[in-house]
Amino acid sequence: MRVQLQPCYLLHRRPFRDNSELLDVFSVEYGRLGLIARGLSRRRRGGPLGALLQPFRPLLLSFSGKGELLTLTGAESGGELAPLHGEALLSAFYLSELLLRLLQRFEVQPALFTAYGAAIADLSDVASTGNARLSLEPALRRFEFRLLEELGYAVDLSTDASCGAVIRADAHYALVPDFGFREVAAAASPSNASFAGTDIMAIAEGHFDGVSGLAAKRMVRTLLHPHLGSTPLRSRSMFETTRGPRAQTGEEIEAGGV
Amino acid sequence: MYRFSPAMDALIEGLRCLPGVGPKSAQRMALHLLERNREGALTLSRSLADAVERVGRCQQCRNLAEAVLCGICSDTGRDPTLLCIVETPGDILAIEQAGGYRGRYFVLMGHLSPIDGIGPEEIGLPILEALARDGEVQEVILATNPTVEGEATAYYITRMLEPLIPRLSRIAHGVPLGGELEYVDGSTLAHAFSGRQPVRGS
Ligand SMILES: [Zn+2]
Repeated sequence: MRVQLQPCYLLHRRPFRDNSELLDVFSVEYGRLGLIARGLSRRRRGGPLGALLQPFRPLLLSFSGKGELLTLTGAESGGELAPLHGEALLSAFYLSELLLRLLQRFEVQPALFTAYGAAIADLSDVASTGNARLSLEPALRRFEFRLLEELGYAVDLSTDASCGAVIRADAHYALVPDFGFREVAAAASPSNASFAGTDIMAIAEGHFDGVSGLAAKRMVRTLLHPHLGSTPLRSRSMFETTRGPRAQTGEEIEAGGV
Repeated sequence: MYRFSPAMDALIEGLRCLPGVGPKSAQRMALHLLERNREGALTLSRSLADAVERVGRCQQCRNLAEAVLCGICSDTGRDPTLLCIVETPGDILAIEQAGGYRGRYFVLMGHLSPIDGIGPEEIGLPILEALARDGEVQEVILATNPTVEGEATAYYITRMLEPLIPRLSRIAHGVPLGGELEYVDGSTLAHAFSGRQPVRGS
């Protein structure tokens, strides 16, 4: 196959064999791809190609070949983005790690591609306005819920999966991955193992801040857990340690990003 | 495929550990050493074995060193209150060649790369934190690369050192001297804009 100027994001790159690198990219029409790139540090007009091939920026990549690994034949910038820094940057690593862990090679996901681009653009906005925590959280949740949806791991947020009854604001529910919500007696279940009906209803309407934001985060973790396996997400644990020295209050730790 | 001898094959295979050396160039190098320059080959093999045996890490800054401390850390003429953090020993060479810097260094030997499992421990941050807690260092200059990983590393270190070090700065990344704006790539230009310096009025 021979593809010209395909919109892509670079998820990861690492040295590969002699003088080459292996790029893990997410492309709009071909999904997640492995591309072998040669001579990235070679000097050329406008700087070496390796400098252009950075994560989190829109790229137009050309590639060819057949089989599992393709060969990069060209790269251009696909648009500019305010540079990511600080917590927005760490959050972006987390989004990429999610895709690397959950997407198969050649798994085509155009809607997820768009959602990833939108999430990165949101993070970039947050980074440039400096209005950190508040806007960072909802951006991450929006992407995570979209990811669950596109990968088929989402559950129905409007009904009790065990009986089909509508979720009630004053009830409490247990969440079973790949099944859905099931009503439980509030007293019988610790608050961090069940979800309040009000929170589920708020999340269904896309409210990812405040109290329902914390519930949303717990919901995502519960739903992704069976698919991520036992290996923790490395960017998430790093994100948590950077919070560590600063986050003095329990509240701040709880409210932390990913 | 024709093979010379087991020793020759081992040499060719060994040379391939060098960056950018494929099977063809490894073959050429091996032939050159054995056919044309046996004396050079012997010197190379001795100095290689010697270096691998004797060169370790400086206990204070993680730079390459033959003693407990590297040449820079043991140089009393250097300012111990000033610390520059770099990714590799090669970066020290570049800064030293540029001249003008009289402080000490700390070498991370890489950068944070969560996806590859390279975290704070792997780049020696506990050692850096202990050094910062000693209280001698007053100013830290972050000179990690202008890549996203370098940026994330600088951010992480900033968060860690903020309560400990009075002055923290990050080297400016921007338009190269002698470069023409038209040929500078977009992200470099964006970096240069966000790191612009006031010339008047502020
Ligand atoms: Zn040293």
